[in-house]
Parts: sequence; structure tokens; C-alpha cells
Amino acid sequence: MGFLDLVLYFLIMMGIYGILTLSLNLHYGFSGLVNFGHVGFFAVGAYTSALLTLNGAPFLVGVISGGLAAGIVGFAVALPTSRLSIHYWAITTLGIAEVIRLFALNEEWLTRGSFGLIGIPQPLISVFSVRIYPLFYLGVVLIFLAFIFYAIRCLVNSPFGRVLKAIREEDDLALAMGKPVFHFKVKVMALGAGFAGIAGALYAHYITYISPLDFMPIITFVLWSMVITGGRGSEVGSLVGTVVIIVLYNSTRYLKDLFNISGQTVSSLRMVAIGIIIILVVLLKRGGLVEEKKKTFNI
Amino acid sequence: MLAIKNIHKNFGGIRALDGVSLEVDKGSIVGLVGPNGSGKTTLFNIVSGFYKADSGEIFFRDENIGALPPYEVARRGLVRSFQISKAPNRMTVLENMLFACDQQTGESVLGSLFKRNQIMAQEKTQIEQALSLLELTGLTALANEYSGTLSGGQRKLLALSRILMRDPDLVLLDEPAAGVNPTLILKLMEFIKEIQTKHGKTFLIVEHNMNFISSVCNRVCVLDAGLKIAEGSPEEIQKNDVVLEAYLGGREKGRKGAKQ
Repeated sequence: MGFLDLVLYFLIMMGIYGILTLSLNLHYGFSGLVNFGHVGFFAVGAYTSALLTLNGAPFLVGVISGGLAAGIVGFAVALPTSRLSIHYWAITTLGIAEVIRLFALNEEWLTRGSFGLIGIPQPLISVFSVRIYPLFYLGVVLIFLAFIFYAIRCLVNSPFGRVLKAIREEDDLALAMGKPVFHFKVKVMALGAGFAGIAGALYAHYITYISPLDFMPIITFVLWSMVITGGRGSEVGSLVGTVVIIVLYNSTRYLKDLFNISGQTVSSLRMVAIGIIIILVVLLKRGGLVEEKKKTFNI
Repeated sequence: MLAIKNIHKNFGGIRALDGVSLEVDKGSIVGLVGPNGSGKTTLFNIVSGFYKADSGEIFFRDENIGALPPYEVARRGLVRSFQISKAPNRMTVLENMLFACDQQTGESVLGSLFKRNQIMAQEKTQIEQALSLLELTGLTALANEYSGTLSGGQRKLLALSRILMRDPDLVLLDEPAAGVNPTLILKLMEFIKEIQTKHGKTFLIVEHNMNFISSVCNRVCVLDAGLKIAEGSPEEIQKNDVVLEAYLGGREKGRKGAKQ
């Protein structure tokens, strides 16, 4: 793999993780929902799109169905749980993501279990040469990222977003001002989950192979580190956080060239590095690298 | 306008409300007073839908609202404030005002994505309305500050202005003058009276400041230990022996007095 291929790989992964981080930020940063199971929605989107396209559906149908399926799962998860207080809710979401992964691991008739799904079709693969293809796919990912970024920006800056903020800060006040807090929580869960599902589909079609091992809980926490580092409640922050964490996460592998340490130590060091970043952000820059923008009006 | 009928509410072994009935006429300002722990805030929580009464009924404009969730009660034009003011940390004063409005196009997902122009137009009139209300409560200079940075008194004023953004028919105020400085209290009293006379709004107010109660309210209702022990004009209440006893004397005597 040449240097350029590596760069393209990272850029594509940044795009996919950017969507994931944005959607988690919509849950946590803008609405105060402590979602510890985001990887579950990612998985639903990946499997849905992979299964559909393996059975002949076109790429776009797969991606959109992946988003819809994850959104429906998010909706279904939120319905019975949105009345839970925040800590119980966090534990529940963590559990649900594991249930989804274990489902994928055990329901072999559908998902081929631990063998995973192989040969997931890539869109327009025959049109481009092997060297150019990643560049094309990067474009596809960036288009989705741009749409989702714009959608989230519209949502959080509209009256809808104001209600989300009020729910995040004082949910009783929102109720007293005539806002159906429960409905808003369910809606925002479904939306964020849907976006994560789209990211999952894009991931599946890029890697062309998915297995339950791709959807371990650690992904959720890497996403959390991106949200916290970038800035909760800031959509630009989500992108910054994604880039910073991915660069950090992958640059540790070059440590073994500089110092005499084993590969195993290096992979452990990744988590240490992320842990240090989180601690530094919490200590020095609470709101993250890009802090939530205060919405001011000209008066 | 509001008719509370024989409300009972127990919290475990504590009898918070023991058969309270109360009527609030349209266009009046009714005060609700009583010693700490007498059930005033519990009554507010029940009327506004935050708690469900164990028994009894609440009618607002002849509709039984006893089983409605808080947001439905608010949407019918009955809006409350909180004793300990709720002021979102990371929302500006103006955002507080804007979010209070009902029926905003941009509150639906699709509306906020595809009806940008309509949202902008609505926002424009809302901002004008919000600024004129903030002008009245003296918070204009703080419009772009986070409400979490306001002082206790300013939060009370914000709570009142935010409620008025909704243009409600009946306003429940839980200690609107607590923590507000005396000059501002005078302004607040004028303000409430003005809203009542000019716009025909109705108020039910919990307050410990007797000056406030006697100069603003048309009628006062006194609670003690979950019972209504007296009702009448502010002058009558101040001379009422049972009330004086409830505030100054033993609780048992107050209860006995209520049954006479």
C-alpha cells in the first residue's frame, strides 16, 4: 500500500467516523442523551445495506435502507427507554448495542455469524481503475458527510434545536413550556441512529467485509472521545475531534519505528494516548477544542 | 376559569394535600399563602400536570385536565413558573424567550430542514415580541447572555417574561418575588397588575411576601398542613385568627380551627 493509498484510506475513514461523531454529538452534545450504544446503530446500518446489496439491491437503496433500519431501531430503543433517567438510560444503550452485536454473531442464517459477510459490492467498481477507485469512494463519503453535516446544522440551529437544548439543560422547564419532551427524545434518537446507520452502510461497502468483530463496544467509546475532544454541542468540533483522534489513533503505529517497542505494546499505547487526550481536554478545555457556539442575535 | 375540587395527595405517609378546593375566576389575581410545607407547591405541581392527584378533579375552562401531561396543560394556556427558577446554563436569555413559543414551524424535523424562510419570518416577529417583554422586565441588556449567568432575582424576571411569551390565559407563579430586590418587587407588582387589567390575564400566585400579596391579589387562599383554612380578601385574611394561629401558633390549633 503506497503512501497515497494510506492517506485515502484515512480520509475515507475520517468521513465515515465524522458522520458517526456528528450523530453521537446530536444525541449527547445537543440533546444531553448519554448514548453508550452508538456502535449498535452503526452495525444495523452496515448489515442491512450489506445484506440488501448482496441480494442484488443497488448501492443507494442499500445505504438509505441501512439508515432507515438503524433509525427504526433507534426509535424502537427510545420508545420504552426514554423515560429512564440519564444513568439508567446510558447502561441500557450499552446493553442494546451488545445485543445487536450478539445477534449478528449468533443468527448465522442471516449474518453468517463470526464468518461475517464477504464480497459486499462496491458502487461503480467497474467504471474506475483500482488506483482511482478510493478517490471516487472518498467523494461519495464526503457527499454524504456534507449532507448530514448540513442537516444537523439546520436542525440544531432551528427551533427544534432550541427545544433539544432546553431538554438537555432543564427538561422540566421544557415540559412547563408545552414541549413534549418524550417525543423530542424519541425523534432525536431515531435521527441520530439513522445517520449512524448511513455511516455503517458506507463502511460496509468500503471495506467489503464485515463481521461482528467490527462492532465492539470500544468503537462507541472512541466516538465519545471524538465528541469530547472536538467539543460537545459543536458540529464543527465533531469533525475536528474525528480528525484529531484518528490521526492519534493511527500514528502510534509509527512509534515502533522510532523506539524499540513491540507491536503489542503499540496497540495498547493507542488507548493510553486517547485516555491522556480525554484527561487533558477535561482539565484544560472543558468544552472541547471547538466550543459550543453561543447563539446571539443582533438587537 | 380554574376549579380545583377536593384534591388529595399523599407522599408515602405524608399527607401533602387533604381535600383542597379552590376556584380562580377569570381576570382575577388569587394569592396562595401558607407556612412552609403546607402544600402550596404540591398543589401547583398537580394543577400543572407534573404530579397526579390521588383523588379529586381539576377543571380549566370546564375541561378536566387532571390526567393531562404537563405539556398539554401548558398548551391549553395554563403555564407555571418554578419556585427554584429553571435557567438553562447554555441558552441565552433570548433563546429562552424564543423556545417558549408554541406552534413553531421549525419545531418539527422536516419543518426545520425545509421551511427555512418561514422559520426566519416567525423568528423575526418572535424576537420583536421577546425584546418588548424583556424591555418591560429590564433584561434587555442581558438578551445575549447565557441565562445560567443570571442572578436569582433576574431568573425570576426571566421566568415571568418567558411565560408571557406563550401568551397564556392563566399564570401560576411560584414565589415570583423571592430573591428580587425591593424596588424591583414594586415594579413586578405593577407589571402583574398591568397585565391583568390590560390583557385580562388571570394569576394564581404563591408568595411569602405579604406586602406583595395584599397589594396585588384580589383574593387570598390560605393553606396549612394540606388543608384550606381560610379564604377571602387580603384584609380579611390578615385579621383572621385561624390564619394568625397557623403562622404563629401550634399546628394542631390551626387544624382544629379549620374544622370549626
